[in-house]
Amino acid sequence: MKRLLALLLAIMMVVLSACGTPTDPATDGETTGAEGSEGADSNVVVFDASKEYVYKTSVSTLAANWNPHTAQTTDDSYPLDYITTQLYSFVFNDELHPVEGKEPYSGYKIIPEMAAGDPVDVTEKVKAEHPEFGIPESATTGYAYTIDLNPNAKWHNGDAINADTYIYSMQQLLDPKLKNYRATDQYSGALSIVGAEEYSNSGRSVKKINSVSGESMDYQMADLVKGADGVYTTPEGYVCYFGLQEAGYGWMGGNSLADYQGAGYIPGEGCWDILSAAADADGYVKLTDETIAALYAFTGSEVWGNEPQEQLGYYVSYDFVYPVVDYNVVGFYKTGDYQITIVLNNALAGFNLYYYLTMNSSSWLVHPETYAATLKQDGDAWTSTYNTSAETTMSYGPYKVVSYQASKHMRFERNENWYGYTDGKHVYVDPVDGKTYPMYQTTAIDTQVVEEAATRKLMFLKGELMGYGLQAEDFATYRNSEYVHVTPSETIFFLILNGHITAIQGREANEGFDKTKHDLETMSLKTFKQAVAVTYDKELFASTISPARSGGYGLVGNAYLYDPETGSRYRDTDQAKQVLCDFYSVDTSKFASLDDAVASITGYDPVAAKELYKKAFDESIAAGYITDADGNGISDQTVRIEYCISGDSDFMTKTVNYLNEKMAEVTKGTPFEGKIEFYKSAPYDTEWANKIRQGLSDTVLGGWSGVVFDPFSLADTWTNPNSQFDGKWFDATTVDLTITVNGEELTTKLRTWAEMLNGTTHQINGKDYNFGDGMADVNARLDILAAIEGRVLLEYNYIPMLQDASMALLSQQVYYVVDEYNPVMGRGGITYLKYNYDETEWAAYVAEQGGELKY
Amino acid sequence: MVKYVTQRILLMLMTLLIITFMSFVLIRMLPLPELPSEDPHLPIVLARREAAGYNKPYLVQFGIFLKNVLTEWDWGVSDVLFFGQEVSDIFMSKLPATMLVNFYSIILSIPIGIIFGVIAALKKNTWVDHTISTLTMVCISVPSFVYAFIIQYFLCYKLGWFPFLMKAGTDYFTWEMFISVIPPVLSLSLGVIAGFTRVTRAELTEVLTSEFMLLARTKGLTKAQATIRHAFKNCMVVVVPSIFGQFIGILSGSLIIEKIFAIPGVGQLNLNAIYGRDYPMFMMLTVFYVTISLVASIVVDISYGFIDPRIRMGSRK
Repeated sequence: MKRLLALLLAIMMVVLSACGTPTDPATDGETTGAEGSEGADSNVVVFDASKEYVYKTSVSTLAANWNPHTAQTTDDSYPLDYITTQLYSFVFNDELHPVEGKEPYSGYKIIPEMAAGDPVDVTEKVKAEHPEFGIPESATTGYAYTIDLNPNAKWHNGDAINADTYIYSMQQLLDPKLKNYRATDQYSGALSIVGAEEYSNSGRSVKKINSVSGESMDYQMADLVKGADGVYTTPEGYVCYFGLQEAGYGWMGGNSLADYQGAGYIPGEGCWDILSAAADADGYVKLTDETIAALYAFTGSEVWGNEPQEQLGYYVSYDFVYPVVDYNVVGFYKTGDYQITIVLNNALAGFNLYYYLTMNSSSWLVHPETYAATLKQDGDAWTSTYNTSAETTMSYGPYKVVSYQASKHMRFERNENWYGYTDGKHVYVDPVDGKTYPMYQTTAIDTQVVEEAATRKLMFLKGELMGYGLQAEDFATYRNSEYVHVTPSETIFFLILNGHITAIQGREANEGFDKTKHDLETMSLKTFKQAVAVTYDKELFASTISPARSGGYGLVGNAYLYDPETGSRYRDTDQAKQVLCDFYSVDTSKFASLDDAVASITGYDPVAAKELYKKAFDESIAAGYITDADGNGISDQTVRIEYCISGDSDFMTKTVNYLNEKMAEVTKGTPFEGKIEFYKSAPYDTEWANKIRQGLSDTVLGGWSGVVFDPFSLADTWTNPNSQFDGKWFDATTVDLTITVNGEELTTKLRTWAEMLNGTTHQINGKDYNFGDGMADVNARLDILAAIEGRVLLEYNYIPMLQDASMALLSQQVYYVVDEYNPVMGRGGITYLKYNYDETEWAAYVAEQGGELKY
Repeated sequence: MVKYVTQRILLMLMTLLIITFMSFVLIRMLPLPELPSEDPHLPIVLARREAAGYNKPYLVQFGIFLKNVLTEWDWGVSDVLFFGQEVSDIFMSKLPATMLVNFYSIILSIPIGIIFGVIAALKKNTWVDHTISTLTMVCISVPSFVYAFIIQYFLCYKLGWFPFLMKAGTDYFTWEMFISVIPPVLSLSLGVIAGFTRVTRAELTEVLTSEFMLLARTKGLTKAQATIRHAFKNCMVVVVPSIFGQFIGILSGSLIIEKIFAIPGVGQLNLNAIYGRDYPMFMMLTVFYVTISLVASIVVDISYGFIDPRIRMGSRK
């Protein structure tokens, strides 16, 4: 009997457990399978397929051409995020964040997507089998990789994606007759494919620049050959020119010789008059003895730093015709039905290889039949309507385009042929509830054009949009909302202060400048700049003029990661903290920790500022920049500082007003009381950067955004005249810097340090040093970066003011699985977005709230 | 009459050709969008421009342009906004939305404007006239985008009667589409209604004081009969041509309204083509607006003859 009862009980339990699939309404879904059963997805929550989760978003400009071979703008690339998948992608690494602790995600990992596994280094093999690709003899790794392709990858219509698809797509992308805008991406970046440049430019005539960087020349002046007609050519016979209007001489900071002539540097007689008379319509002057002498009359003069004649090669361009070649020269070929091999011009390995493969690996794939059908020849030009409508768009990502109306609306829906929905790899453990969910809960994405922020706001409050980026007038109302999210950006905006004394004096010499009333020269004094540096409370400045942003204190922004694999930020290192304490003269011994010391920094020290303004006054009087005729200890002249604007805006007005207001407060009781004035320039549009670089305008909030994984590259930006804002008055090749690296005290030029940090080998005391990525210990690299940052700050040409960021409200319909922003993953994007309500529930909820949601 | 119309059409074509040539040359003389010198895509862009014939003499370029338009209706491909797509296709896809909104706006404005104008004229110098005249002045003075925001806030947000934006899609004659265009139509119409009201009132007021109106009354017509049969018909000589003028005006004046209500029309396209320096697109839109204006001026001139038989076109005497 007992046995019978036990058997009945067991049967009942089995039946009950079979009937009662556990549900959890809070998760909007149900769990399948039994715990402990085999299979990666055995515990994955399954979303109710009958429910609709629509991500409703707006753009100001809707994509018009998302053809991956020709798209030119980020607006145009927008759909590619949804309809393509890369060879590899980043996902949150939930293994790093045990659910028990319920820690937010901060780490991530790279998983193969369109690839079937990791890339295999085949450098040695390719070097032996394909000598035509020119892999250096000494290279053993990093130049060639074989990648197995995911055999489950398909187009949304079910067509297979295999190695042939990749090869066809690459051929089309680089095809010289198509002149595709994106062809250049295959050879101009870090991931540069062998032969891509040669094939894509096959047979094309160009004017090549002899020295883009200013560091090496294709041809020395001595190499050039004088022809019978007196014109110099390269040894191969290409005609050489001086490019008067050529702005591609990168070492000239984007300026051309014509710009310098316009600014009054280059004399007409004996120089410019001769050159311009000999120039063609595009400003190219053939090199002859006469034109060489004419240009040298300027470059060899004291005004231009007495450059030796052989350096005239830096101003040379030459005709060049790319040889006619076929696709076989391209190091991108098929080695199996589902395998490709990539051969690179420069070695790339480790994280950087994966990173560039996630960025630029396969988003250029095109569906062969559709692409061929959309190509059209118009004269010598070819165009394609591929990816310009729902009908011509082929998807191989999680979503597909189902409707498109130009300048109006675009709708994406799930691409059921995407392998990721069934491969068991696209799941994650939610740190909030510890359950495993499939990625991409969103079933459709509705994108519409809403240009007016006021309309976006009303639509958001009605529940018709998922997000709303706060405008200046919204901060007071919403900045403390629980639905607001701050997204930091990598850029630091600093106040660039003019130190180009020659340009300043040139402006003062202009007719109409009243030297008795105004002065410009004082602003170039370092003491004056030091005073300005401690005149403003950075946090107050940010909250007054741009509340989404915060105070900026160093030259490297908070978002930069020095170790992308662990997500470690440069700004959190002791080296970076110490730089700030040193620059702002914080005595760290008075604080319990370096963090406390950094937290005390405001950038505002009115007492020190007053002292510095007094000192600057004395220096300025001594230099004859200003006068104090009545001896009352007050400057007779007003120091007028032109704030360089690209176009007028409320932000510019607020900035200039704030600068003036606080300047007036701090200079009270000093010789500059009421004698320093910021004023807005004319709108310079895109010329603003050149105006600053040439010293023709005085100050601006400027900055650089770099690669968020590579703060070290910023050191190059600060010291390279190609990118420096202060390159005309700060020469980093002349400044010595001593740094203790791994216990060894080394002294060399600032520019040399920056180059070594970015992979160039230099000698110090007869010994080779290279501190590039993978060449030196990361701590040593951090020491060097911090030292360079500190040294550049001490020039006071860049005064950090703002840490860039934006603020946006997120709809109550959804939530992020992580609150903290991750520079690589953001907050997970559409992949990880979770819904509190499906569409039906959301409509009911909004109605319940009276049609107006409270945030 | 036929001869006159033929002459006018030929003259219009000649004018169109001259304006098109001038616009073409001026547009081609404009600097092309600049790219930063360090942009690695620069050589490709320059090569494309070369292939597109930008470096040929202007007369040669114009000849190619004219030949393509006249023989193949080929207006070229968009350089910037809709890269690689036929300009004429883009234009034609956007024309219906603009026409729809403007057509509704005119349909709504004509009767309302004329009715208010008639009432104001008939009640001249009474409080009714003063109220209508004051509102007319307000509606004419305030730009349409101000109404747009007010309408959007109250009717779409607070009351929830209409959607914020024009409905997506090309189902232009569905109920949902009709409802969705009411806010932009209202925003456009207020100014147009005021315009019609003002013209009608001014003309009718003048006509009502004419001697032939006195004659009509003395013949025994009632005031209503005299007004409708004689005065109203006479004032239409001015009002009807103004309908064409208003239509042209709102065709170009709806740029901002299109932006606010996300109407995918040609107004927005025109603005974007100028900002984006998409010259082929800009060229086609220029020719479109010039053509519309020239056709409208002919239609207005010819319409006089139909409305007022006293006006005889092309008469030698």
